[in-house]
Amino acid sequence: MDISYHDVLLVGGGGAGLRAAIAAAETNPNLSVAVVSKVYPMRSHTVSAEGGAAGVIKPGDTLDDHAYDTISGGDWLCDQDAVEIFVKEAPEELLRLEHWGCPWSRDPDGRIAVRAFGGMKKMRTWFADDKTGFHLLHTLFQTTLKYNAVTRYDEWFVTRLLVDEGRVQGVVALQLMSGRIQAITAKSVILCTGGCGRVFPFTTNASIKTGDGMALAFQAGTPLKDMEFVQYHPTGLPFTGILITEAARAEGGHLINKNGYRYLQDYNLGTPTPQPVLRNMELGPRDRLSQAFVKEVEKGHTTDTPYGPVVHLDLRHLGEKVINTRLPFVRELCLKYENIDPIKELIPVRPVIHYMMGGVHTDNNGATPLAGLYAAGEVACVSINGANRLGSNSLPELLVFGARAGRAAALAAMEQRTPSEHAISQAQDEKARLEEQFLRKTAGRERVATIRSEMHQAMESGAGIYRNQTSLENAADKLRELRERFRDIGLDDHSLTFNTELLAALELSFMLDVGSAIVESALHRTESRGAHQRTDFAGRDDQNFLAHTLIFRNPDGRIRLEKAPVVITRWPPAERVYGVKPDVKEVAAR
Amino acid sequence: MAEAILKIFRGTREGGELAEYRVPVAPGMVVLDALHHVQKHQAPDLALRWNCKAGKCGSCSAEVNGRPRLTCKTRMDALPQDKPITVLPMKAFAVIKDLVTDVSWNYRVNKKIPPFQPRAVTEWKMYQPDIDRVQEFRKCIECFLCQNVCHVLREHGKQEHFGGPRFFVRVAALEMHPLDGLSRTHLLKDQLGLGLCNITKCCTEVCPEGIRITDNAIIPLKERVVDDFYDPWHWLLRKLGKKVSKSVAEH
Ligand SMILES: Cc1cc2nc3c(=O)[nH]c(=O)nc-3n(C[C@H](O)[C@H](O)[C@H](O)COP(=O)(O)OP(=O)(O)OC[C@H]3O[C@@H](n4cnc5c(N)ncnc54)[C@H](O)[C@@H]3O)c2cc1C
Ligand code: SF4
Ligand code: SF4
Ligand code: FES
Repeated sequence: MDISYHDVLLVGGGGAGLRAAIAAAETNPNLSVAVVSKVYPMRSHTVSAEGGAAGVIKPGDTLDDHAYDTISGGDWLCDQDAVEIFVKEAPEELLRLEHWGCPWSRDPDGRIAVRAFGGMKKMRTWFADDKTGFHLLHTLFQTTLKYNAVTRYDEWFVTRLLVDEGRVQGVVALQLMSGRIQAITAKSVILCTGGCGRVFPFTTNASIKTGDGMALAFQAGTPLKDMEFVQYHPTGLPFTGILITEAARAEGGHLINKNGYRYLQDYNLGTPTPQPVLRNMELGPRDRLSQAFVKEVEKGHTTDTPYGPVVHLDLRHLGEKVINTRLPFVRELCLKYENIDPIKELIPVRPVIHYMMGGVHTDNNGATPLAGLYAAGEVACVSINGANRLGSNSLPELLVFGARAGRAAALAAMEQRTPSEHAISQAQDEKARLEEQFLRKTAGRERVATIRSEMHQAMESGAGIYRNQTSLENAADKLRELRERFRDIGLDDHSLTFNTELLAALELSFMLDVGSAIVESALHRTESRGAHQRTDFAGRDDQNFLAHTLIFRNPDGRIRLEKAPVVITRWPPAERVYGVKPDVKEVAAR
Repeated sequence: MAEAILKIFRGTREGGELAEYRVPVAPGMVVLDALHHVQKHQAPDLALRWNCKAGKCGSCSAEVNGRPRLTCKTRMDALPQDKPITVLPMKAFAVIKDLVTDVSWNYRVNKKIPPFQPRAVTEWKMYQPDIDRVQEFRKCIECFLCQNVCHVLREHGKQEHFGGPRFFVRVAALEMHPLDGLSRTHLLKDQLGLGLCNITKCCTEVCPEGIRITDNAIIPLKERVVDDFYDPWHWLLRKLGKKVSKSVAEH
C-alpha cells in the first residue's frame, strides 16, 4: 500500500480547512501540510453562504454587544470564554481576509459596509455582494497557493482515522479518480468536514454535507457535543430547499400567513414597524421563527402546496431598485427555480434544515480529547453557538477557530514522532474492509437509496422542529434497524474509477451514526432550549440542563451520554427577550 | 406526466457510447434532476459531479444538446421536448468516466498566477464602484465552461501555451483590484498566451455568471500588455508602484 507522510493534515477544503492550512503553514514554514478534500476546495459548501460574516467594526458597537447577542441567541448554552475569544478575533480575521484580497462591500465613504442580521442588536454583518462565503472561500484558496508547503489531495475521500498509542496518526483515503486506497499519515489531523444537513430530507445543505468528520471522530471514540441542536432556517424555497437569505428580511421583507397577516407578532417577537427593527419580528432568531411557523400550520393559517404547507415572504414593498441592488441573487434564484418575480409576487417559503450547532467536542484551540485530533468549522462544537446559532456567526467562527486549530495543530506536530507500524497496518485492514464490504461483494441485498430515504423519513418525523419521547424513540429504533440492514448493503457499481455509488454508501454509513447521535442526544435532554423543543418537556430547565450533552461510543459499540458544564463568565442566564413594544424607540435597521 | 428521452455518454478514457434513458418530467425540473433520476432508478453507476444544486459550486458542467451548461441551472422545459436531450462530458478535457472529466490542468495554470499582493497603504479605503468592477471577475464559479468552448483549447489543444478565459478573468480580478501592487503583464504575455485569443467571444456567451469575459477582462488586459511593453511611460509608472488603469483614467 502507498503511504504518504505529512506533519499536519486537514480533512476538508472548505473555509475552515483552508484557514487552518494557512495558519499551520504560517506557524512553521518547514511543516508539510496536506489538505484532503472529497471535492475540489472551491466546490465546498462555504461557497453557498450568502448573507455575511459578523464582526464588530463600527463606532457604537462593542464586543460585549456581539457577545451578548450570541449568548442570548444561543439560549445560554454557549461557552462564554469561547464567545469572548470569538467576538474579539472575528474582526481581526475579517480584516486579514481583506488584506488577502477579499472584496468586502463598502459604505459611500470607502469603509467597510455592514448590514443587519437576525438576532443581532447592532448592524455588524460584513458582506461581499450577496456571495460572502463564495468570496471568502476563493480568497482563502488563492492565498493557500502562496505556501509551497501545502499539498492538496483534491477529490480524495477519507474513510477512517488511524489511531494508535492513544493518538491520531493520519487517515485512510480513497482517490476518486483511480479508486486507489492509501494511508496519508500526519502528526496532527484537523477535521474540517462541515455539517450534516443531509441526514434530513429537506435541507439547504449541499450533497457533500453528510457529517463525515463527526462520524470519523465518533467512531474513534471522541465525544460529540450538543448534537440535539439542529437549526432550521425559516425561509427555504419549498420545492428545492434553496435558501432565501436572511438579508432579504434585514432589507425589510415581511413574513405573512395566508391571510396576509404578519403572524410573528403573535409569538412574542415584537410588533410590526414600518422600517425593520433589529431583534424584532422578522429579525428575531431562527429557532423562534421556525417554531412560529409550526404553530401557524397547527392553526390552519398556512397555504397548502404540493410540497407541504408554506407561508410567504413579501418583498414587493421594497421596490425594484432595492431588490436589484441589494438582493440580486434572491431575485435570480426565485426566477430561475420557482418562476417567481419577487418584485411583483410573494415568495413561498418554509423552514428548512440549515446548520448543525453540535459537533465534535473541542476546546478553544480546536483540540478534541483525543491526542492529535482537532476540529474546526461547522463540524466542531466549541461551543459559541449554544442552542441556536445566529446567522452570520459561522463564517467568522470558521476563520477564528480554523486559525486557532491550525496553529495549535502545527505546534503539536512539531513534537511528534512519525507514525507507528501498527497505524500503517490499520490502513491495510481498512483497505481490506472496503474491498470486502463494498467492492468485491456481489450478494448484498440492501440498496443505498432505500436505506437513505428510510433514514430521512425517520429523522424528519422523529427529530424535527418539535420532538417528544415517542417520536424520538421511534426514530432511534428505526435507525438501529437501518444500521443493521446496512451490513447487507450491495453495490451495483464495482468499478474503481469515480465510483459515486461507493461514496454514497460510505456517506450513508456516516449519516446513520450521526443521525443516531442526534436522536440519542435529543432523548437525553428533557427540557426545551433554543432549537431543541420537546413537546413533553416545555420550558428551559437551568437546574438540570444548563449543561452540554456529550455522546460517546464505547469500543464495544454501546452509546454513553454525559453532561459537561457550560462556561459562564459575565452573562448569567436570563430570559431571551426579542421584539419592541410599539412605543419604544429602537435603532432602526436601516 | 410528460417523459423525456436522455442520451447520456457512458464510458471512460478508452471509449464509450450514448446510452438512452427515459425520465418522467416534473414542473421546475432541471437536467441534473433528470440525471439523478437515471442514477437512482436505472444506472446507479452513472458518474457525475454535483454539489450545491444552486448554480454556485461550479461542479455540474456538461454539454447539453451540444451547448456547455451547468446541468443544475438548465431547466428541462427550456429544451425542445420532441427530441432526445443529449448530455455529454466537456470536450476540452479528458474523460474520466461518463460525465466526469479531468479538470486538474486548470489548477496547474492557476498555480502560475501570483495571488493578491497589496500595495503599501496606510488606510484600506476602497470605493464601491471599484469593488463592483472586481466583483464581476471574482464571481467566477470555476465551472470551466468557457475553457471548454474556447477554440484555442478545444480545437487546437494549446494547453501548454494558453491559460484560457477563466484565468484571464482571474488575472483581471487581481490587476484591477484597487489595492493590488503587482503587475502580471509578463505572465499574460509569456506564459498565459493572451495573444492567442482572437476575441471570438465564445467564452462570454457560455458563462453562467454572465461575466463579460472578452469585453471587460480580455480586451483591457490586452491593452495593458501593449501599454506595458510598448509604452515606456506606463512601464515607468508601474515601476514606481503606481497602478494605471485605463478605465479609471478615462472616467
Ligand atoms: C445556503 C447556506 C447559506 C449560509 N449562509 C451563511 C451566512 O450568510 N453567514 C454565515 O456565517 N454562515 C452561513 N452559512 C453557514 C456556513 O456556510 C457553513 O457553516 C460553513 O461554510 C461551513 O464551512 P466548513 O469549512 O466548516 O465546511 P464546508 O465548507 O462544508 O467544507 C467541508 C469540506 O470537507 C470536505 N469533506 C467532507 N467530508 C470529507 C471526507 N470524508 N473526506 C474528505 N473530505 C471531506 C469537503 O470536501 C469540503 O471541502 C450558510 C449555510 C448554507 C447552507
Ligand atoms: S474570446 Fe478568446 S478566450 Fe474567449 S473563446 Fe474566443 S479565443 Fe477563447
Ligand atoms: S468565467 Fe464564467 S464560464 Fe468561465 S469558469 Fe468562470 S463562471 Fe465558468
Ligand atoms: S451543482 Fe453546484 S453549480 Fe451545479
